[in-house]
Amino acid sequence: MREASFTPSRVLIYFVVSLIAAAYLVPLLVVVLNSLRTAEEIAQTSMIGWPKQWAWGNYAIAWGEFCIAQTCAGIRPYMLNSALVSIPATIISTLLGSVAGYAVSLWRFPGDRWIYGVVTLGIFLPQQMRLLPWTIVLRDLNLTNTLTGLVLIHTIQGLSFTTLFCRNYYIAIPQELIRAARIDGAGFYRIFWRIVLPLSPPILIVTVIWQFTHIWNEFLYGVTFTSGQQQPVTAALIALSASVADIPQHGVQSAAVMIAALPTLLVYLFGGRYFVRGLTAGAVK
Amino acid sequence: MNKISRRAMLAGTAGLMTAPRLSSAQGVKPRLTVISQWSAGSDGAAITALGKKFEEKGGTWQHSPVPGFTTEMMNKLRAQIMAGDPPACSQLKGPEIAAWSKIAATVNLDALVAAAGYEKVVAPDLARLHKPGGKWISLPLQIYSTNMLFLSKRAMDKAKADRIPVTWAEFNALAEKMKAGGVTYPIANGGTRPDDGQKFEAALAGISPAAYRAGIMALDEKALKGPEVKAAFAQVRSIADWMDPNTAAQHYSINLPRFVAGDMGMMIQGGWAQGVLLNAGFKLDDFIIAPGPSDNGKPVFLLNADAFIFWQRKEPDLQAGQTLMAELVMDPVIQTMYSQITGSIPVRTDVDLSGAGWSDGQRRTAAALKEAVAANQAVLSLAHNMAQENGMTAAMIDVFTEYVKNKAITPDQAVARLSNAVEGAR
Amino acid sequence: MPAAARNGQRRLALDQLRRLPEFLIIWVPLLLSAGHLIAFALWTIWVSFTPSTLVPVSGWVGLRNYTAMMATRNWQIAFDNLLLFGCGFVLLSVLTGLGLAILLDQRIRGENVLRSIFLYPLAVSFVVTGTVWSWLLNPGIGIQKLVNGLGWTSFRFDWLIDREMAIWTIVIAAVWQSSGFAMALFLAGLRSVDADLIKAAQIDGAGPVRMYRRVILPALWPITVTVVVIQLQFAITTFDLVRALTGGGPGIATQLPALVVYDFMFQRGLLARGAAAAVLMLLILLAVLLPYAAWRYLQRRQSAHA
Repeated sequence: MREASFTPSRVLIYFVVSLIAAAYLVPLLVVVLNSLRTAEEIAQTSMIGWPKQWAWGNYAIAWGEFCIAQTCAGIRPYMLNSALVSIPATIISTLLGSVAGYAVSLWRFPGDRWIYGVVTLGIFLPQQMRLLPWTIVLRDLNLTNTLTGLVLIHTIQGLSFTTLFCRNYYIAIPQELIRAARIDGAGFYRIFWRIVLPLSPPILIVTVIWQFTHIWNEFLYGVTFTSGQQQPVTAALIALSASVADIPQHGVQSAAVMIAALPTLLVYLFGGRYFVRGLTAGAVK
Repeated sequence: MNKISRRAMLAGTAGLMTAPRLSSAQGVKPRLTVISQWSAGSDGAAITALGKKFEEKGGTWQHSPVPGFTTEMMNKLRAQIMAGDPPACSQLKGPEIAAWSKIAATVNLDALVAAAGYEKVVAPDLARLHKPGGKWISLPLQIYSTNMLFLSKRAMDKAKADRIPVTWAEFNALAEKMKAGGVTYPIANGGTRPDDGQKFEAALAGISPAAYRAGIMALDEKALKGPEVKAAFAQVRSIADWMDPNTAAQHYSINLPRFVAGDMGMMIQGGWAQGVLLNAGFKLDDFIIAPGPSDNGKPVFLLNADAFIFWQRKEPDLQAGQTLMAELVMDPVIQTMYSQITGSIPVRTDVDLSGAGWSDGQRRTAAALKEAVAANQAVLSLAHNMAQENGMTAAMIDVFTEYVKNKAITPDQAVARLSNAVEGAR
Repeated sequence: MPAAARNGQRRLALDQLRRLPEFLIIWVPLLLSAGHLIAFALWTIWVSFTPSTLVPVSGWVGLRNYTAMMATRNWQIAFDNLLLFGCGFVLLSVLTGLGLAILLDQRIRGENVLRSIFLYPLAVSFVVTGTVWSWLLNPGIGIQKLVNGLGWTSFRFDWLIDREMAIWTIVIAAVWQSSGFAMALFLAGLRSVDADLIKAAQIDGAGPVRMYRRVILPALWPITVTVVVIQLQFAITTFDLVRALTGGGPGIATQLPALVVYDFMFQRGLLARGAAAAVLMLLILLAVLLPYAAWRYLQRRQSAHA
């Protein structure tokens, strides 16, 4: 749009952007620095500060050694649990969401607008209203205290977002394409497989990134519907925090936070460009 | 069709009918499923040690600590109960024990308690909480006082003071002396909800334990509107004014460095603060612990006690596990071990704290408890959910925390608000 | 029956059978999703009319839970805060996202790095965001202390402990967390503005400001709606962030409906009261969404007639 040159306005733009970028990085910096300080130092000085001695050992402790009651295996087993829940739930909810989005935007059927409306209203339903009903459902399905139960919860709840994203992407696909294919005799699956799916990667990436992040960082259901060794990593992080009679282990806690945040950070680092691209391609309406 | 009364009947009857097996059935290996919130720190260490003792006696220990605080633990307990799978044993305390016992069946521990002679060595106010409906269903394990006075040695030096204040008047005078001597903020308390609750209950109980009993524990309307409550609010206002305004809603532990350095003078905290100070790297020489201020000269003890409740299970190995656990919890040796790890004092009044492994602060707390019980001034802490159920406690702490953070609220207005809150939450 | 007609019937039946899996895969997920939402909402509404405390029980107490809830200071403050926070946050996050997108669209070097920097907060959990910002915004250890230490001793940034301003600290942290998403959407929108429109405007001699005002921003309207919807969802359901940042304080000054629901349902063991608060929340939501849906419906009918 504008040619790159060294005009004063461009210098101003670089300056402003750098300032804002620095502001955005500050919280990350604080956590990283804290992860390299000792708990005593943090307790005796302040939450924000430069390490006096570098506690590199915090990461090893966080990964494999710190104790939750009698189990001293660090954060490692809980990372696995989080993966076992996040990955299947993300994949399934994305796939189902894309089929559903296709069905309501392109294939069309009687009542599609209504059911789409209800499904997407679901994004507004707060967690607290779902906690006890899910308790009852999981009990009736015999899935209390299982990772499968968590996958079920996140998949069904995720449908609201995934359908929303996919449908808004698919309505940009011209109806004539679908109509022509139908006239040619293609059915529901054929059209999805041959026409819609090949056009989908951008929005699928967006949906996967969004779902994975939300499920990985989720805390409430993870704590209530699993126990002990099965808990996801978010629960393990909270377990590091203060009990009544102790000082928080802020150094190791910050290291654990960094380790736990690594998967989602990496997802955004590498998927970021596709994120924007995915939202560009369809002109999300 | 009121499910509560039907359930209560069932729970009560079931409780009466279950005879706990004094000697576990031959050949059944005791097993125990436990839920608590004690996943880390000294609490986590203590319950882990208890688990080891359980296993030493031949049992299988299955403890699931729930990360977070009490609400998360109760959510988990609720989910398990609703799923029909309560743990054999769970952490619970205060009037919540009575409330929860109405929604699921509990085990009648009367025979075990009688056999161990436990009731004789438990403070009566405390025992009452664990026998709703007249039968023992839960066992207290450790006691904390929530109104201990911590004094910074260096701040005392700055104030050129050498007497530990006993009444609120002396406390206030000391605070002024500290301020004059260069202590920036005489009070080092934090701003969390329990902390704000502690300030009020320490003030009221110190001014008049009788008014505390009537107003806070019995919710008597006249007492709640009485002059002692107003005076307590006035005292809390003074305390708030002597605090660092930047404290906001933070935990008191962020103030510890300045407390030890003499930049802050005093703290009204639970006995657990000693452990926190030591774990942060400070020394016993840096501070003094004393009972909280009491206007009539005799110590007032605000009780906070953790306990285990036992839920009815049909499995014989779990029942055997419950018997073993109950015996362990009442055992003075176990209580000694537990309290030495967490920094609390044992529930049993007959434990001798003069030996090694006990700190001066613990000895002083135990002595204060003895004297307070003798003078009938051992009361239940509101801020730590011992005096009222959670709903009522939270409604009252709403008033306290707003009052502390908003200087425009006068003690008269606060008294009115407290009354309204209590009425609204009944 | 003649053979042709029988064949016709059989083909119809086979056809319907063949379409069964397709029918299932369209309807089953959608029904599960819609079904569970309706069921959970209805369940919550039912509980709000019972005397439930620790666990759900049946019984009928009329509107008692609603009147009790609306009489509490917690709810009144939460309601006011929702309006304040909702409008402030959505507005600020849209403006920030748009601003960042426009900046990034200027073909500057290092766009990839910058985009990652603005997007990474989305990857962080709300609890961590709330906790870290509670340190940064605390006047004693965070930004105010830093600026004071640099010499500007009269600088004050103590919103976190100020009952009136504390809600804005939540806005700041929330904008930090989610403006990256708004930015991504706006950037996508900016990049897909019809090139012909831009060229036409350039030929007409429009300068950059005019270009934005007349051509580009209007074209961004549909995306803006999506951004607003997603941010509105965040504002209404946000819970972990507020709990970690202010805990609802100072005092109860930053209570929000989602916190009140959790507090009453679970912390206070007053299930029915909390459920009443949740239903009130849904009503507020409907009050915002229904007019919008009606407006869209009217728009569609107008464009259908035009």
